Amino acid sequence: MSHIVRTTGLTKRYNRTLAVAGLDLDIAEGEIFGLVGPNGAGKTTILRILATLLVPSAGDAEIAGASVRRNPNAVRQVIGYMPDSFGVYDDMKVWEYLDFFGRCHGLPAARRRRVVADLLELVDLAPKRDAYVQTLSRGMQQRLCLAHALVHDPQVLLLDEPASGLDPRARVELRELLRELRNLGKTILISSHILPELEELCTSIAIIDRGRVLVSGRVADIERRLRVGAVLRVRVLGDGEAAEAARAWFERDAEVAAASLLDDGTIEIGFRGDDAGSARLLAEAISAGLRVITFARAASDLEELFLQVTAVDEPDAVKDGTAVARKGAAA
Amino acid sequence: MSATIGIAPVRPERPPGRFGRSASRLGRSVGQRFGGIMAIGVKELRGRMRGRRAFVVLTVYLTLIAGVAWMIESIAERSLANSFGGSTNASAQIGQGVFAALLVLEMVIVIVLAPSFTAGAISLEREKQTIDLLITTPISSLAIVLGKLFSALVYLFLVIVASVPLTALVFVYGGAGPEDLVKGYLVLMVTAFGLGSVGVFCSSLARRTQPATVITYALVLLVTFGTGLVWVFWGSLGNQSSIIAQGPVVTGPDGNVVQGPAATRPQYPPEALLWLNPFVSIADVFCGTETGFGGTCSIIATVTGRDPNVIANGGGVNVGGGVVTGPAPAQIVKGGGVLAPVPVPIAVAADAAFGVAHDTFWPHAALAWLVVSFVLIVASVQMVSPTRRWRPGWPFRRRRATAATAGTTVGGPATHPTVGPATDPGIGRDPTAAPDPETTPDVRPGPEGAKEASS
Repeated sequence: MSHIVRTTGLTKRYNRTLAVAGLDLDIAEGEIFGLVGPNGAGKTTILRILATLLVPSAGDAEIAGASVRRNPNAVRQVIGYMPDSFGVYDDMKVWEYLDFFGRCHGLPAARRRRVVADLLELVDLAPKRDAYVQTLSRGMQQRLCLAHALVHDPQVLLLDEPASGLDPRARVELRELLRELRNLGKTILISSHILPELEELCTSIAIIDRGRVLVSGRVADIERRLRVGAVLRVRVLGDGEAAEAARAWFERDAEVAAASLLDDGTIEIGFRGDDAGSARLLAEAISAGLRVITFARAASDLEELFLQVTAVDEPDAVKDGTAVARKGAAA
Repeated sequence: MSATIGIAPVRPERPPGRFGRSASRLGRSVGQRFGGIMAIGVKELRGRMRGRRAFVVLTVYLTLIAGVAWMIESIAERSLANSFGGSTNASAQIGQGVFAALLVLEMVIVIVLAPSFTAGAISLEREKQTIDLLITTPISSLAIVLGKLFSALVYLFLVIVASVPLTALVFVYGGAGPEDLVKGYLVLMVTAFGLGSVGVFCSSLARRTQPATVITYALVLLVTFGTGLVWVFWGSLGNQSSIIAQGPVVTGPDGNVVQGPAATRPQYPPEALLWLNPFVSIADVFCGTETGFGGTCSIIATVTGRDPNVIANGGGVNVGGGVVTGPAPAQIVKGGGVLAPVPVPIAVAADAAFGVAHDTFWPHAALAWLVVSFVLIVASVQMVSPTRRWRPGWPFRRRRATAATAGTTVGGPATHPTVGPATDPGIGRDPTAAPDPETTPDVRPGPEGAKEASS
């Protein structure tokens, strides 16, 4: 499989702050690659370096064989970039906006007209063709910005937090749009600090914190690795004493790392075993006389992992730090 | 190719052969540069010319200068009618008055408008966060800068050119010829180009439009009034008395006593100091309309060091075989001729009739503006480009660095907990803390990186 985006030892420092620390990424053609990390992890810096807006301090990145250092112009021809916060020009109509970027990419007039019409159709803005850009809603502007990144039919799309600030409906629409682009064979690099947003969309993800890749690979592989540290939630019939007895019983099991009793009577178990192991645990618990009401694996999505590997670094998380800390500790 | 948006996965577009590739690259880059300028220009002009604003401004401006022309004309007419005896060339004097007034007014308008059109060119893109979108397209930084500058100038030139018919009114009165008009408009346009470059330069230097505008107007004030003040101040420092200082009186070989060369050259400041001052250039254009020495021509002569008096003095000319011990100033009045039969110094007579040298200043000034514009444009391009080779030094470095840090979402140290997760001891390290070379050996930048980091 050919790698269309490749970074080798990519490093960027701002004065004393290390934003990207020796990043090595290989992204194959046709992938939807998610960059996930808390705010300040370096996602935007990575995307800006790939978009030739920043010069790396060390290392290099290549897109479709062109180096962002040595040949930024060639890179610009194969990428479409959508920044996380972007502005729109006043006094400009929707079609003029796309027409302008078509001109910037040197498209001839006839092709420009066709592309503008097609793109407006694709992002569902055709009825707004003659509206002024600043009158569009945030979601529409986001889609317009995505359309601008597609004007020159790039091979690689760099989307920086494309869903931020969108309402749930617009998010769904955006996701549909990205699926459509994937079907058109684009390689998409997408960043987000909200992991579930990417989970079902991406083929591969990299979890990044403080400029380093903590985990990367195909989503399924990562999920399999996640199983190692699953959380089981168990409730038993009876009062606090019964729950405490059950907790003590569970803790004696070899595959249980820790078992704690929560305020609401739920026993949270840090479990090292796999699915077969949890089936065995349940069977043994019942045969040991525990009156189990519920026995469930805690929502074991990537978010758990995300919280595990990035710890409590996220400013958002700091706000409701107790919840995250508890989750982190439980995991 | 897809039916919906015509997107093909890959475009295998490689011209064969080394020469073919470089030639096509050259062609593409030229095409792209020009196309880029056009793209920016079309976009800018669409915004600027949309709605009524542009045309209202134009109408107001034309009404204004028409009113001024009319007032100057009637003032001149009355003053000439009241003057004792009148004048045979009153019409020409009215024409010259109107011409001068219109040119000065248009110059003021250029000085006011040119910076305001361009001072936001780059900084507004930065403020609205649209510059990133521009830079990630293949158009060059040069195309961005030139496109912005030209689109601002196109409107300004429209304003200037729209006044040509009004200025042509002076032909009714005479006193100024078509070539004077052409010269005047040339000076206006070169000044507009120069001041526009100053605006674009400040706009790409400052990150925000407000400081960019302030710096631009400060520079414009410096150029228009500051240079004049410095020139006068410099002149006052010099030995002004040397203008009329006499050279030693010597006896020539033929027995005549002639005056030797003046001991010291007059201490005038260099002419170049005023090259960027548009009003001096305008004065030189007026000088072209005048038939005698006086008024603006005397100013220009002083500036350029071609003062006929001075030349007569320094030359030590023996006129008429007599002993000349002092300057022989030609008493010439505007529009008239030589009133008194005073010998005209030969040195000056050789320069131009009536002792007036035309077009001595403004071509230099125009050239100076073009050179300055070129330098400013090159500097602007450097500052617009994110991958530029050099960066401005200390005063800008810190601001730029902090802005860049703020631009990307690098978390401050305050949000980092002191304890990292137990999964990987390397993860918990806080990169925003003071760098410890021993703990970060793997991320030390190479020679280029070190340069980048230090800048």
